[in-house]
Amino acid sequence: MCATLSKTQGISTPAGQTSFEQEYQALAGGAALADRSRMGRLRLTGDEALDLLNRLSTNELMDLVAGQGAVTILTSNKGRIVDLLFVLREQDSLLVLTGPGNGKKVADWIDFYTIIEDVVVEDLAEKTTMLSLAGPAAAGLLGKVAGAGPASVETWESAPATIGGVDATVIRNDFDGLDGFDLLAPAPDRQRLWETLIESGATAVGADALEVVRVERGMPASGRELDEAYNPLEAGLKGIISFTKGCYIGQEVVARLDAYKKVSKHLSGLKWDSNTLPPENARLMLGGAQVGVVITAVRSPLMNRGIGLGYVKKVSAVPGTSLILELDDGQAEAEVVDLPFVPSPETES
Amino acid sequence: MTQTSVKPKPLTITISKQAAEHVEEFARQAGKPEGYLRVGVKGGGCSGLTYVLDLVDQFKEDDKVIEEHGLKLGVDRKSYVFLAGTILEFSGGLNGKGFVFNNPNAKTTCGCGTSFGV
Repeated sequence: MCATLSKTQGISTPAGQTSFEQEYQALAGGAALADRSRMGRLRLTGDEALDLLNRLSTNELMDLVAGQGAVTILTSNKGRIVDLLFVLREQDSLLVLTGPGNGKKVADWIDFYTIIEDVVVEDLAEKTTMLSLAGPAAAGLLGKVAGAGPASVETWESAPATIGGVDATVIRNDFDGLDGFDLLAPAPDRQRLWETLIESGATAVGADALEVVRVERGMPASGRELDEAYNPLEAGLKGIISFTKGCYIGQEVVARLDAYKKVSKHLSGLKWDSNTLPPENARLMLGGAQVGVVITAVRSPLMNRGIGLGYVKKVSAVPGTSLILELDDGQAEAEVVDLPFVPSPETES
Repeated sequence: MTQTSVKPKPLTITISKQAAEHVEEFARQAGKPEGYLRVGVKGGGCSGLTYVLDLVDQFKEDDKVIEEHGLKLGVDRKSYVFLAGTILEFSGGLNGKGFVFNNPNAKTTCGCGTSFGV
């Protein structure tokens, strides 16, 4: 398997630059570089932009100071997931990163709810590029090319940087369970930034390796496990819901589901004793009845078997439960396991 | 939506006499006896949209201004589509809800009554 274009994770690294094994190793033990320009990038300006986003999404954003960001979830009035966002407070604006290909959808969503407020949404997709460095050696490599300052910001914080002569905004993130950095720069500087990082020792990675690492670390992704079919509690995102900040769209539903313990299914890890991958949205059965679905399945080199992320009904979403996974040709016994499948590697100091 | 004895006017916003009297009282208490009441809608709240009521010194240039029971009401222009036909009433007493928007455009309303969906 080699790096290929993917529709799922906003990665557009061309196929064939490096082998899958090299990419996987770079993510697990080195510094990997991915082009994630398919992720939406919006800039919100206006005095009420932060307040508006705070009223539209689940996490507490009002405490953010310039240079600091937070992950939050846009939810519908039924409490379903519209998209997972990263919101960075800048000096006089907000930078919003959306799921892959969701820039317009999120811009339209915010625009619909901008009525009395003075808020302007600008789509930065055409003007900017977004590369991401990830892996235990990412901070060290960034320190070499951009200096210690940008490489030592805390997770979800940002700093300006100059990398190979390119002015960029560095945001430290929890890149699918790995330490990582998003680098935003003007679109015309994309190639120069990319080459500087590759020449400094980063390994180009594509969608397949990233997807395997994401699933191994049990991270749900926008457009895969996270969409309007599910709510944030089902997706295991309770940690980015504020239950004290007051109303946001869908808050009443989310609060009720939590208070009355009415969450009916849970994001779960599944593993099975073969490298065979099931079809999209394969059914999970128990006693002849469907109790779940596998959304994303990959072959894990570390575990040497097929693993997946899916949703399983509450009563069966218990580690150790044995379910039947429907394959294209036959079936396999799948076991529900705790997430993540593998712990995240330590960042190299 | 609460029961109302006031007849709605589909293309405007109607204010009940009781609501107008309470606005005047609040304006006096706030030291703004000449104050104007401005209403609008903002995004957020459990159901998607939330009512906004403000005592202001002057309306914005493109506000739609309605006068009833001696009260001047300014309606935010972009909010108007969500509010047309609304009756603004006042629910008093110990269990009262205060100002109440009886809004025919609201398809859903949250438990506290301040948020609605269209």
